Amino acid sequence: MDLKDFIAPFAVWKRAFEKPFTVRKPIDERPGAPRYRGFHMNDADACVGCGTCEAICMNKAIDMVPVAGRDPEDGDSGLRPRVDYGRCCWCALCVDICPSGSLSMSNEYVWIDKDPDVFRYVPGVESKPWDGSPLGYRRADGYRLLDEDRVPMPETGPAEAVASFLELVKGYSRAQAEKEADRCVSCGLCIASCPAHMDIPGYIKAVRDGDMEEGLRLLYDTNPFPEACGRVCTHLCEDACSIGSAGDPVAIRWLKRYIADQVELSDYAKALPRAAAPTGRKVAIVGAGPGGLSAAYYLAMLGYGVTVFEKDEAAGGMLRFGIPEYRLPYPALDKDIGYIESLGVGISRGVSIGKDIPLAKLRKDYDAVYLSTGLPLAYRLEVPGDGHPRVLDGVAVLAAATRGEELGLGGRVAVIGGGNVAMDAARTALRHGARVDILYRRREEDMPADAEEIREAKAEGARLVEKAIPLEVRDAEGAPAGKAAVFVWNEAAMVQKEAGKRPVPEPIPGAVREERYDSIIAAIGQGPDLSYVAEADGVPTRRFKPVVDADGMASSGQAGGAAVFAGGDFVNDRKDAISAIADGHRAALGIDRLLGGKGA
Amino acid sequence: MRREKQHAVPPAERATPDLDSGKYLVMWQGPQHPGITGNMSLRLVAEGDTVVDCETHVGYLHRGFEKLMERRLYMQNFPLVCRIAVPEPDFNEYCYAAALEELAGVVIPEKAVWLRTLSLEMIRLASFLMWIGGQAGAFGHGTIAQWSVTMRDYVLDLFEELTGGRIYHMYIIPGGVRGDVPAGFWKRVLATMDVVEKNLDDIELVMFHNAVFKARAEGLGYIPRDWVDQYGITGPNARAAGAGRDLRKDSGYLAYPRLSFEPLVGTESDAYGRARLRLGEMYQAIDLIRQIVDRTPANGPFREKLPNPLHWKIPAGETYVAAECTRGEYGFYVVSDGSDKPRRVAVRGPSYTHAVSVMERLVRGVNIADVAGLMVSLHTYPPEIER
Amino acid sequence: MNELATRLAGRYGARDWHDQRKDLASVAVDVIRIRDVLAWLRDEEGYRHLSFATAIDNIERNVFTLTYALRNHEARQGLLIHADVDRDDPTVDSIHLLWGQAWTYQREMKEWFGIDFPGSPRVDEEFVLEGWDGPPMMRRDFDSLAYSDATYAERPGRVTHDPAAHMRDRLFPEAAR
Repeated sequence: MDLKDFIAPFAVWKRAFEKPFTVRKPIDERPGAPRYRGFHMNDADACVGCGTCEAICMNKAIDMVPVAGRDPEDGDSGLRPRVDYGRCCWCALCVDICPSGSLSMSNEYVWIDKDPDVFRYVPGVESKPWDGSPLGYRRADGYRLLDEDRVPMPETGPAEAVASFLELVKGYSRAQAEKEADRCVSCGLCIASCPAHMDIPGYIKAVRDGDMEEGLRLLYDTNPFPEACGRVCTHLCEDACSIGSAGDPVAIRWLKRYIADQVELSDYAKALPRAAAPTGRKVAIVGAGPGGLSAAYYLAMLGYGVTVFEKDEAAGGMLRFGIPEYRLPYPALDKDIGYIESLGVGISRGVSIGKDIPLAKLRKDYDAVYLSTGLPLAYRLEVPGDGHPRVLDGVAVLAAATRGEELGLGGRVAVIGGGNVAMDAARTALRHGARVDILYRRREEDMPADAEEIREAKAEGARLVEKAIPLEVRDAEGAPAGKAAVFVWNEAAMVQKEAGKRPVPEPIPGAVREERYDSIIAAIGQGPDLSYVAEADGVPTRRFKPVVDADGMASSGQAGGAAVFAGGDFVNDRKDAISAIADGHRAALGIDRLLGGKGA
Repeated sequence: MRREKQHAVPPAERATPDLDSGKYLVMWQGPQHPGITGNMSLRLVAEGDTVVDCETHVGYLHRGFEKLMERRLYMQNFPLVCRIAVPEPDFNEYCYAAALEELAGVVIPEKAVWLRTLSLEMIRLASFLMWIGGQAGAFGHGTIAQWSVTMRDYVLDLFEELTGGRIYHMYIIPGGVRGDVPAGFWKRVLATMDVVEKNLDDIELVMFHNAVFKARAEGLGYIPRDWVDQYGITGPNARAAGAGRDLRKDSGYLAYPRLSFEPLVGTESDAYGRARLRLGEMYQAIDLIRQIVDRTPANGPFREKLPNPLHWKIPAGETYVAAECTRGEYGFYVVSDGSDKPRRVAVRGPSYTHAVSVMERLVRGVNIADVAGLMVSLHTYPPEIER
Repeated sequence: MNELATRLAGRYGARDWHDQRKDLASVAVDVIRIRDVLAWLRDEEGYRHLSFATAIDNIERNVFTLTYALRNHEARQGLLIHADVDRDDPTVDSIHLLWGQAWTYQREMKEWFGIDFPGSPRVDEEFVLEGWDGPPMMRRDFDSLAYSDATYAERPGRVTHDPAAHMRDRLFPEAAR
């Protein structure tokens, strides 16, 4: 040791008069850094209550709790996360994973209270001083734990598509399906929005696990039409999907199709539950559409003898005759129906109840009757000249196409309407080589058709004419009478008549347009045909709809025969396949209860 | 001044003093003790004021992390692992993430490589700053502790800005890192490095040219070179003894192969020699940080997208990923059985041997007053022993 | 490294050599040879550094798989040596005379897995679990959550709701029938 070792330590004194490093809290504020992970904030309006924050939290610091003024609704559970700061470790994985992006953290880190139980609150619902803080932890740009982008579905391009009736959507490969299934967070918000309340997280998990038989079993728990619904379902579930709150919703429909596509029909029986022992009771079903056959499936599973009466020469109803094969190929539909028939369900094709057999006889011969006859009657345009021979009914055109009949639409076709039938008719006409205009009385965004149907119809070459109010159909000059027609419409402006209601098209005076067409396809909706139901059957109706109870029962059948149940398009407001399937399932359970089955 | 050099004796061969003889005093040092040794205790047997026997007792911080990890999803363990070594959590984050990435076949983006390296060097500096305060404090030099802990706080300010947290950064997430650097960050890093460097110069002057420190530290806890392999000694404890091993050089992980540095090697692994070497590594960390600031790419992604963390499964396999932390070889051994949760995670912390086998051996013959200084000179963090 | 694999196979019947990385491999031996293998690797092959030793409970096969991690600093190579030991009679030769820190790992494995290393110093002393009376806690059949639930009380007032079940109860309770 040298002298320096004794002198150098005194160098500490040179700092004696420097400004101290310390912060004089609370005199001097010391805010957290701009991305400090402080107390939670939640945009309670953007939050969908999916509970993914709770699922990722390794500390179990988050509870999902009901909050005042938020009831469950489509795509929102009404629950909101409550954070327990006795457990939270401020890792912010909840912020990172939040599907809606509603969760964030403020940069506030001081909160003092005598009561330890206050450190547990529902951010965004119980107000806190740091609410709305612009600083604090947010997910970085380009950093997401979840995948916001859907795995693209391989599809035929529009140019190639219009050349044939081949199926457009090719279906996912295994790798694609598993990747898409991986996007799901299993929150189950979708289940409430599905009319059949399918176990969507369950069958998506089956896709992830590669267990197709388990997937198929879960599908058939609530829906015996997975091939059809996997292609053409209106997929309300996807509108409710929590991933869709800030990204592409999970392709639930395509995953359903993927499962059904993977299992051969011959393997279905191995995967699916066996029917209960026969009860010895018989049920008649009128209409072999998805609703009637759904009821038939579940009744057969409960041990009932089921006969389905179908006026057309083939089963499937609107799925077969109303949806073109490029969206729902017949072999896929036949697979769904084939499995139902394989359970012993009899389908009497070409038998019209009311014409060939009266309903009263069914009520006499069977223990219960289920009506699911849908909406067979097309609405007319209700303008002068709507009886012109070139004014065709959209559903009839689609049915003729299914039957392979010559459509004879000609080179210029107008489709009047904005629903899925209108889109299907337009795209069928395009495939027959026609130039097609779609005329709709409101705007594109008001169209009831699926957005993708509209987009694809346009991509395939259909011209959209919005805000066109039909005025008249005239025979075209210069053509043989009845061979071509002129469609006359009035351009409209959208007027907000009542606050809170959707705007109404008002004709613009003098803005009358007309166009000559070889065919005018009216696709503005259909109505029920209840002519086969007699007053003695005791089925109450309101606004041309059978009125049913919570079990789908329309008539308890005290007088004159068996009870009558009803469901499907002519009962419910949704008027889609999945709702008819749900109605059929509900009625099957209701019939079972009524007849003293195990549900009683 | 140099004390007699000691030689390794396997613990089985140690002579157990006869406690009934009335010649000995049994005393416990810790688990609460100001020598920043963490919650660990030494059961000392002293004869007069000289320690003749010692047993290290741990367990005060055992939280069953390795068991907990077997119950949690791979991504849920990401916020858990940092807690295994509180003063330098980032090595846990890095080793865990790198092990999963290796097993899952994930390659992280270039930018993440650099930001991870930055994180590890910044925490190396912060951890050493805390250690040097403890080392000085153990010999009564509290002023240095006040300076160095302040400097550490300046480094933690940088962490706060970069990661949103001061102690538990939770920044090195499997797949990359959690965010890019904020605007103006590099400038503040360089400014802080200048301040810390200047402070280190002051510390060098008053601590290492200090008769008291020298008198007490020189010869204390001397580790012979041949102990290094025999006891699994790593890090500065080994390098000070002449074993020039540094995983940053030897394994060449992250951006280290592209950084210019040479491992520091000493000749005498006693408390003074180790402190000297660590001081050198603090300057080295500052130099590395400056290089990283210079060379981190300005643009590009900072994280590779991984599957949904709620369902992420990792193919069956095992790996051991180690990194050079301030105290030596820090590693994660991860076994996957193909499910969404690890089958086994074992954490290898350098303190496991330094604070138990080596400490028990070195403390014999040491004056009770020097035990704290010896303990700190081995730079041990008890939580990584217990996990 | 394949030469080492061949030598290990020839001398000790080592098998399942696997190159995990360019600087990390693993190999398995019979448990009765574990001390000989480790001593040979240390003395003859330059694997002088023991990084750690631990065990994995492979309860499905009714074995504990021991893992000894060695490192050859000069060759910059890591090697994981595995050996399965019967879960019903987990007794393994001690290596405390090979490395000065090995006894601590063995003491840990005794406490955490119930694997015995006869002759290892202080192997029966408590390590981190002072006063623990449960089964060895790292065994897979020790359910730490069940233990925690049985031992500690939940904080009052905690209740959570599954979103799907909550929506069902509020929107379509008939589905629960």
